[in-house]
Amino acid sequence: MTDEDSYAELERLDTLIFEAREKASLSVSSVINACEVLSRTLNECDHLHLLLDTGMTENKARKELQLVKQILSKEYSENRIKTELGTPLGCFTPYGENISVRQEWKPLGVLLHIAAGNVDALPVFSVIEGLLTGNINILKLPGNDDGLSVLILQELIKIEPLIAQYVFVFDYPSHNVEAVKKMASASDAVVVWGGDSAVSAVRNMANPDTRIIEWGHKVSFAYVSDNASDNELDGVAYNICDTNQVFCNSCQGIFVDTDSFDEVVSFAERFLLILEHMVESMPNDNDPYLSAQNTLELYTERLESAKYRKRVFTANNCSVIAYDDMTLTPSYMYRNCWVRPLPRGRLLAELCQYKNHLNTAALICNERDKDAFETLLSKTGLVRITNGKRMSEGYCGMPHDGEFSLRRYMKIMSYED
Amino acid sequence: MDLRRKLFLRKNPYDLRKTGDLFLKAVRNDVAFHAENCPEYAQILKSFDFSIDDIDSEEMLYKVPVIPTLYYKRNYLCSMPEKKLAVKATSSGTKGSQSRVGFDKKTLFYGILMMIRYLTFHKLISLLPTNYIVLGYEPSKHTQMGAIKTAYGITKFAPALHREYALKDTGTGYELNNEGIKKALIRYSKSRLPVRLVGFPSYMYFLIKTLKENQISLKLNSNSKVLLGGGWKQFSDEEIDRNLFFELIHYTLGIEKHNCFEFYSAVEHPLPYVKCKNGHFHVPIYSRAIIRDVKTLEPVPPGCVGLLSFVSPLVSSMPLTSVVTDDLAVVYDGESCGCGISTPYFELKGRAGVNQIKTCTSDASELARKGAK
Repeated sequence: MTDEDSYAELERLDTLIFEAREKASLSVSSVINACEVLSRTLNECDHLHLLLDTGMTENKARKELQLVKQILSKEYSENRIKTELGTPLGCFTPYGENISVRQEWKPLGVLLHIAAGNVDALPVFSVIEGLLTGNINILKLPGNDDGLSVLILQELIKIEPLIAQYVFVFDYPSHNVEAVKKMASASDAVVVWGGDSAVSAVRNMANPDTRIIEWGHKVSFAYVSDNASDNELDGVAYNICDTNQVFCNSCQGIFVDTDSFDEVVSFAERFLLILEHMVESMPNDNDPYLSAQNTLELYTERLESAKYRKRVFTANNCSVIAYDDMTLTPSYMYRNCWVRPLPRGRLLAELCQYKNHLNTAALICNERDKDAFETLLSKTGLVRITNGKRMSEGYCGMPHDGEFSLRRYMKIMSYED
Repeated sequence: MDLRRKLFLRKNPYDLRKTGDLFLKAVRNDVAFHAENCPEYAQILKSFDFSIDDIDSEEMLYKVPVIPTLYYKRNYLCSMPEKKLAVKATSSGTKGSQSRVGFDKKTLFYGILMMIRYLTFHKLISLLPTNYIVLGYEPSKHTQMGAIKTAYGITKFAPALHREYALKDTGTGYELNNEGIKKALIRYSKSRLPVRLVGFPSYMYFLIKTLKENQISLKLNSNSKVLLGGGWKQFSDEEIDRNLFFELIHYTLGIEKHNCFEFYSAVEHPLPYVKCKNGHFHVPIYSRAIIRDVKTLEPVPPGCVGLLSFVSPLVSSMPLTSVVTDDLAVVYDGESCGCGISTPYFELKGRAGVNQIKTCTSDASELARKGAK
């Protein structure tokens, strides 16, 4: 589409949306079927290169392609809907009344997806969630979009042409406030992916009558108490290498249940060996720009360690920095993590400050302490407790940031006689 | 006599003959001065087991422990009490944090004399009254950004009749002054006096793009010049081909390519580098460029990519003697350029880091706000 066409479509968006609302003939089962057909079409021979082009290693690309195939499959979609929406609502007589009531899940109507470019093909998965819940979708592509999303949408439309009436894609930059406002005012809800600044911008831009569904940036870590086995720490190292620490559920660093800096230091030395071993078995592309950045960061940390209480341990293509404070920070990413003290007695007070920015904790502790730690960690903003290896692995029906996404894109209609 | 005086006042900024020994001695003096007056710096030298005697030849200059610009952004190093600082500046901090630097009177004095020598060599000093377009911020009391001071400083190299700023001071912040710039340019084009456009390349690009879109094609005085410095800031996506850029400048403003100058400098390394006619940043006698391995920070041979670092004895107020930037670059032998300047030159190869990092992890500032007690 040319810029002029796109502008003309934006000008007519209200009319187009209204027409789509009126027609509204796309069933959820035809969306599920279209996804299933696409899932079966995807294969390594024709599609692996699309993932490799985004800079993934071959192993990672294979794994991701399998994951995409699974997520698009009919069984997955059906199971997901069942888990997220629960047992079908129906007719009943409410307590204390003698009326008959019928309740049904219905789409919110029109969703504007303001997608971030931080996860490959994220925009299209946001739209598919919108389609699975029967919504009409406006997609504002991220500034650094890799083109995968539009490609997948085009494939879906080839399989099920009706989808075209339910998806409007625009490529306006976020700083084009007028365009974004227009899209938001045509929507019942804005689904925003991104950091605090993106979320705040949408909050300021959208009218109070428009619901805002925020999928913000989060931070995750591992918590280690008592004697962690090498095997358990291998899992944490695996997550660090597998995700390069760029996801909201990637491990940024490890809190150790101690108030002794010496213990933190010896743990850091031990973990470096484990991490180094994992890095060797999961090599990354050697990007000089990335190496340069990490070198400067670690070298600066090293210079600073002359005056602050911290120790920098480096190995080939990875590092572990031991700090003496209990602050939660992002790591330098790309296989560079931190270790900090956080005695259990301080855990709640320290972590509660980060409220909704918390995501996943990998918990490594004695079996007898597990319940107590789970209770404690659940009182913070965290939404998931798992082991190191599974931190960034999902499962069908897994809540997203502590909520079922499909439910957020729907409303419960109540019909009474 | 201060050795710096001899070095920075030399007439030809690219004549390495006779200055090698002087440079080495000045660097040794500078390191010794900082070691004596900045305890933190002394500690850094100690942690590297560095001794001044290690630098007995130019080849050994890389041994002066190098400090990354990132370190200056997070730590303030000073070899003089605050009251001795004549000017203070901060880096523009595109990625968030900023470096704070301060210069004493003597450093400033040598710096200005050096700039006069340097710009005279490049025929950038003029006595003709000149109209300026500053493609950057208007100086104000509420900010100390080094780039503002540099841009303003550059407007002193030809007497300024009028200065129009792309970002006008509102007293508390800045606002875009597109209309003002356009009007000023049209007004300037009717005068017989030269015009100088000074500032960030990205703003220059947006200006000429807007002019072209509005089909404005001016013919400014033939002595007019474009002086560009600094990165593409947050507009790195828009970075365009150099030749196309100069063609557009010529088309919209009538300024020839040989009157367009690109500077390289940094708040943490306040020395001037200007591209020669072949587009190369030759290193003047005031500094040495050392390219360092991206993993070990050890020097790499000419022709290899690495982190761009500099050694210079200019500044006494802060230990900025040996600084590594976050730019990747390659150094080449000067003779291979063919422009007539024989000192080695460097070619920038982009910034360290990941271009548009794809992450959904909260960044430090998001967490810091929550963590603030």
